[in-house]
Amino acid sequence: MPVAPVPPPQPAAAPVDPQLLAILVCPLTKSPLRYDRTAGELISDKAGLAFPIRDGIPIMLVDEARRIEDDPHPPVPPGLRP
Amino acid sequence: MTELPRLFDRRAVHRNRIRALADREYQPFLLDEVADRLVERLGEIRRPFPRVLELGSWRGRLADLLRLAGPGKELIVAVDPVADALDVGPGLKVQAEPEALPFADESFDLVVSALALHHVDDLPGVLLQLRRILAPDGLMLLALLGGESLFELRTALMQAELDIKGGAAMRVAPFVDIRDAAALLQRAGLALPVADVDRITVSYPDALALLHELQSMGEGGALLERPKGLFRRDLLLRAAQIYGEQFARADGRVIASFDILHLSGWKPHGSQQQPARRGSGQVRLAAAMGVPVEVLEGRAPPQGRDPDDQAG
Repeated sequence: MPVAPVPPPQPAAAPVDPQLLAILVCPLTKSPLRYDRTAGELISDKAGLAFPIRDGIPIMLVDEARRIEDDPHPPVPPGLRP
Repeated sequence: MTELPRLFDRRAVHRNRIRALADREYQPFLLDEVADRLVERLGEIRRPFPRVLELGSWRGRLADLLRLAGPGKELIVAVDPVADALDVGPGLKVQAEPEALPFADESFDLVVSALALHHVDDLPGVLLQLRRILAPDGLMLLALLGGESLFELRTALMQAELDIKGGAAMRVAPFVDIRDAAALLQRAGLALPVADVDRITVSYPDALALLHELQSMGEGGALLERPKGLFRRDLLLRAAQIYGEQFARADGRVIASFDILHLSGWKPHGSQQQPARRGSGQVRLAAAMGVPVEVLEGRAPPQGRDPDDQAG
């Protein structure tokens, strides 16, 4: 019986330079970030936002961040809009 | 927190820049000129700056120059809200807004910025953040468009709109004034604050060429309350005509002024020059100046008294 095709694995996200990791904080709360290597995200628990990383470049824009604990792409709350 | 009055449309600012950056052939001559002058100023300072932040980037053109000059041996970070501005250039890159910088306290020894801060709504807030991320005795050296920049264009557009429509909208963004800038530096708690203006005058075949250049620089309209849509053709032509009449040189080319505000200030540190403690003086001012005390205090010196006999 044919098996459903397995989706190709996501290409491993280019890692963030450790020198950058050492100085990056949340742009809103200025609190420390958690680096989720597998998801390729920098997570601000205080702001409840996950900032994406593209080609090793952290995208520290609230507009582009994912709200944690909700659906993947909800609108940014009004208070956090630029 | 009170909501800050918004002047600029961030999306329009970014859109204009993305469009400008798409033309890889374009050499941002004004940026290069400003970057040159900025690095030259830095050359006069005898102090190493191992960790550098380039705030607002055009493919690292300023950072490239800086690196050649010496700073940034340990770390260079380029920050820009637009991804295309960071696709080339030295050092590490972070996409971020200047008004929400994602860096920990005391992360840098030097922050430089060329032509990137005239679109921010909250310049005082940016200065405070820069002070925060600078290490003690760190320096910020910022060059921004300000003062009377593009007053010729402003005048011509306003006159043309009045002629044709009987009313005028703001088309050229308001700029930071040099006196305001100096006060902001002081309010941000920076040591040895200095603000001065460099005027760069550029000539163009005509006003339309200037507008085209501004677009190439990514400086199209970005005011929140700007009139939407393109300029009406008749308005544009009338403005170009007025520009040509009022701001042409003898050879027929028109001129445009760019005022570059250079703002610098240091993160306070004990080793910096400080004003002396009040009451710590050892010599009377009158003695130092060689005049009687009464002269300094506004009273006339007594008759026949020797002005030199006042020390102590």
